[in-house]
Amino acid sequence: MLIQQPPDDSTTDSPSLEAVTGRVTANNGVPARKQPPPEKPSDIRRRSYIILSFWLIVLCLGLPIWWKTTTIYRAHLPLQEMLDWADGKACRPVFPLHISIQANALQEQEAQNLLRLTQHALDDLNDFSGHHLRLQLAPPAATENRDRDTVLTIRLVPGEATTATLDPHEPILDITYPPNAIPSPTSSSSSLATYVAGQLRSTFAEEQATISYLLSANSISPEHRPQGLSPDVAETLSKRTTRSLKYAPTYHLTFSLFTSGPLPSSWDIEGAIGDYMKPVLDLLLPIHNFTIDTQVQLYATPGVQNQVLNKEDLSSFINAAEWPLSPSIGGAPTVNFIVFVGNQTIAAPSQNSAEGPDPAPHSWLIPQWGTVYLLSLPPDTPHLSSEALKQPLLTFTSHLLSLTGTPRSGSLPLRLSTLSRIRSADLLLRASSTLGSLARLALALPSISIPSSVADGVSKTIRHLRMACETLGGPEGLAHARIAEAEAERAFFEKSMVGQLYFPDEHKIAVYLPLLGPVAVPLVMGLVNELKAWRKRRLEAAALGAGKKKE
Amino acid sequence: MDGAKATPGRTAGPYVSAAVLRLAILTLLPGLPDLLTGRVEISTPVTSFKRLQEGLFLYNHNVSPYDGGVYHQAPLFLPLFSLLPSFSSFPIFTYLLYIAVDLLSANALWRIADSGEAGSSALFSSPRREKRWSGFVIAALFLFNPFTVATCIGRSTSVFTTCAILHAIAKAVSGAPFGAMVALSFASYLSMYPLLLLPPLILLCYDRQRSERATKSGLKFAATCLSLVAGVLAVLFQMSYLVTGSWEFLRSTYGVQLTLSDLTPNVGLWWYFFIEMFDSFRSFFLAVFWLHLSSYVGGLTVRIRRQPLVVLTLLLGIFAIFKPYPSISDTSLFLAMVPLYRHVFPLMRHTFVIAAVIMYATFLGPAFYHLWIYAGSGNANFFYAITLVWGLGQSLLVCDLMFAVLRDEWEVERPEMVGKEIRQI
Repeated sequence: MLIQQPPDDSTTDSPSLEAVTGRVTANNGVPARKQPPPEKPSDIRRRSYIILSFWLIVLCLGLPIWWKTTTIYRAHLPLQEMLDWADGKACRPVFPLHISIQANALQEQEAQNLLRLTQHALDDLNDFSGHHLRLQLAPPAATENRDRDTVLTIRLVPGEATTATLDPHEPILDITYPPNAIPSPTSSSSSLATYVAGQLRSTFAEEQATISYLLSANSISPEHRPQGLSPDVAETLSKRTTRSLKYAPTYHLTFSLFTSGPLPSSWDIEGAIGDYMKPVLDLLLPIHNFTIDTQVQLYATPGVQNQVLNKEDLSSFINAAEWPLSPSIGGAPTVNFIVFVGNQTIAAPSQNSAEGPDPAPHSWLIPQWGTVYLLSLPPDTPHLSSEALKQPLLTFTSHLLSLTGTPRSGSLPLRLSTLSRIRSADLLLRASSTLGSLARLALALPSISIPSSVADGVSKTIRHLRMACETLGGPEGLAHARIAEAEAERAFFEKSMVGQLYFPDEHKIAVYLPLLGPVAVPLVMGLVNELKAWRKRRLEAAALGAGKKKE
Repeated sequence: MDGAKATPGRTAGPYVSAAVLRLAILTLLPGLPDLLTGRVEISTPVTSFKRLQEGLFLYNHNVSPYDGGVYHQAPLFLPLFSLLPSFSSFPIFTYLLYIAVDLLSANALWRIADSGEAGSSALFSSPRREKRWSGFVIAALFLFNPFTVATCIGRSTSVFTTCAILHAIAKAVSGAPFGAMVALSFASYLSMYPLLLLPPLILLCYDRQRSERATKSGLKFAATCLSLVAGVLAVLFQMSYLVTGSWEFLRSTYGVQLTLSDLTPNVGLWWYFFIEMFDSFRSFFLAVFWLHLSSYVGGLTVRIRRQPLVVLTLLLGIFAIFKPYPSISDTSLFLAMVPLYRHVFPLMRHTFVIAAVIMYATFLGPAFYHLWIYAGSGNANFFYAITLVWGLGQSLLVCDLMFAVLRDEWEVERPEMVGKEIRQI
């Protein structure tokens, strides 16, 4: 009988086919064993049919299903292109910055000449091809509607001496010049042009340094790598990079009020945020979204009880065990801003610091995490008004800017536009390097499955990377780089792919054998026995035929 | 004893008493039906009455009944149960429907028993066939089997499948291939797995054709039967499409059985295995399990060609063990067919062990489930171990019955061996 025994009831003995097809021995006391009569041909044929019916199912259904369900699906990935992106061969990050010069007091001719000279001076100064400053002459009337592509406008105004001031609210550089500074049309150099070029260069020096630092930190091929990044600049930049949070489209801001005693028990945080922080958040909106929540906890104990906090104490001031500061809400990274009301103070920095004696600071920034502000109040203040929160919130705002990686120098609008360019470059490079890692992973592990969603993500990433590369420096560039980075991360961290990593080929024996082994034994043994019997019959028949021929 | 000659009063006896017993349980113990409905041994995801009510509610509120992934039963149940007065206000009508279905099943079983097909089929007559139970006894054994009663009280919709299968067999033995095929199509429509019973059932119909309009060619007969089943199924699917308005039901009813997406524990062997299964091998092992289930059909049909009813009985037993969502209802169907082979009972070797193992699993199963789910002092292995014992008991019964039937056949060929002990090689 060829009933497959399932693994659970392998103890049951089923009647064998032979038992009923004749090969049966009686053992009830008969001394000499009787030979059973030979099998009938119809029984033999029936047995072949039974074995055939099982094997047909195994071969016609089992094998194709096995093949179809266990082959690893590997979607086609454009591996070479992905590696090209990672090596920086596919895109050369170039930031063309358009700067318009507004010189209403000058003749067209003079202005053109000055522009040409200044551009020359700029090109002589510039050693980094990825960062181009392009000057253009603004039409004299157009003072109000600035071109969207223009990052900075230079306003040349006649004055007493050569001075330069950055407008704090608009991306405008005001330069005054003495009347004799206008270069003659024939002169090949001009002190004013050199001065303007120097001013521009110093304005964009930080951005340029940051971008060249980013490019050198990522493995961009050497011919595109800028030279001459001094070690101390690189160190400052790497410090800033470690301090700032990883880029995310949305940050979650948590404002917490911790008080050492019962009071104050309420605060006008909403009004304070609206007054002091919202304007900056609105400016940051093209680059980041923000969600905000607030909390108050009374009788909060800090991790350090000292009256005067030394520099070493600051790192353990946060009482992580008791303060309800959740690491992240809803997937967005959290930035924590803590106002601690108590009577602790921070030790003033040592006297021999370069800036001389500072007033004792009230706050410190925790890299990639947030800010703590110590606020000392008269003991019985029940409510913190919006005005009382002004200083903490201004501190928080400036810390938020450095947490998001905003450069230090320049006016705020310039800093923000620089931030968006830095972020685009950063995202572009990160997406490219993720693509490279994915390509290397696919090459290194031939048995890893690559679902079609990964291939989708890769093609989307490459498309957006290309568009980002074309529009680098503008807002579309940032948007494309954002999408490209998100898609690349999604493709790289595809869940079904990660699961396969931990499933090497050796383990397949452990998967197949426990069930299929016991099932295969009767199937194979039945087939082998049947083939043996068939061969024996053929030989007997041949022998019989030979015997007949002899006769 | 001959059921055909029974007086009407005698015929009505088991039916009336079974109906009264069920009604008494349903009315006197009002908490029991809901308790049994919630038991995993009775209600599987594809037969649960609770899920049926959920589907019915969605259907009556013009929402697709398959929304929410709770209802996995055939769409035509919905209009049927919508016709009945609401279950919450008049439960008696639902009870009466289930009781009627049970009685219809018993009636079909009675007819199968009285036909004597079990003892003497067209190609084979057992020398022991005189020693058999009448339809009366067999119907009573089915109706008063605790498993059947529990299924009826638990209002599992598998009773409809049971009824359809029994009617298909009854029609086949009485020489009505058309009726048999229609009934089997209904059973397949409701639960899918009865489709595997088609080969032996076609053989049974072929053997039992009425001589006046017999089709001689076996192939032609089989083709007619197959096209009939396909036609009836197509009509049923079309009706389901009209009722639900989309083909979504195919995925939610048969797809769930094929892919085992609902891993609620039951008395079968699949759920535990697929809880533990690596995701990347899940589809392969699903195919292996289904092929395992269906591989018996061919072999058994060829081997016991002379007694197709035996093949049907054994397959029902195998399905009760190895199908994806088995319940005690499937066991009750198998146990209903086993007494037809009263004449080979003396040839069985392990009757005591089988009875003991099945009783053991029956009593310890709910206890272990309680320990796992409610008391929390056991784990899933407790319940799975007892379902293994349950499967072992049933497979012992299947094997022993097969052995007895084969030995019965063999003794006709070798009359000198009757009563002697044999050894298996």
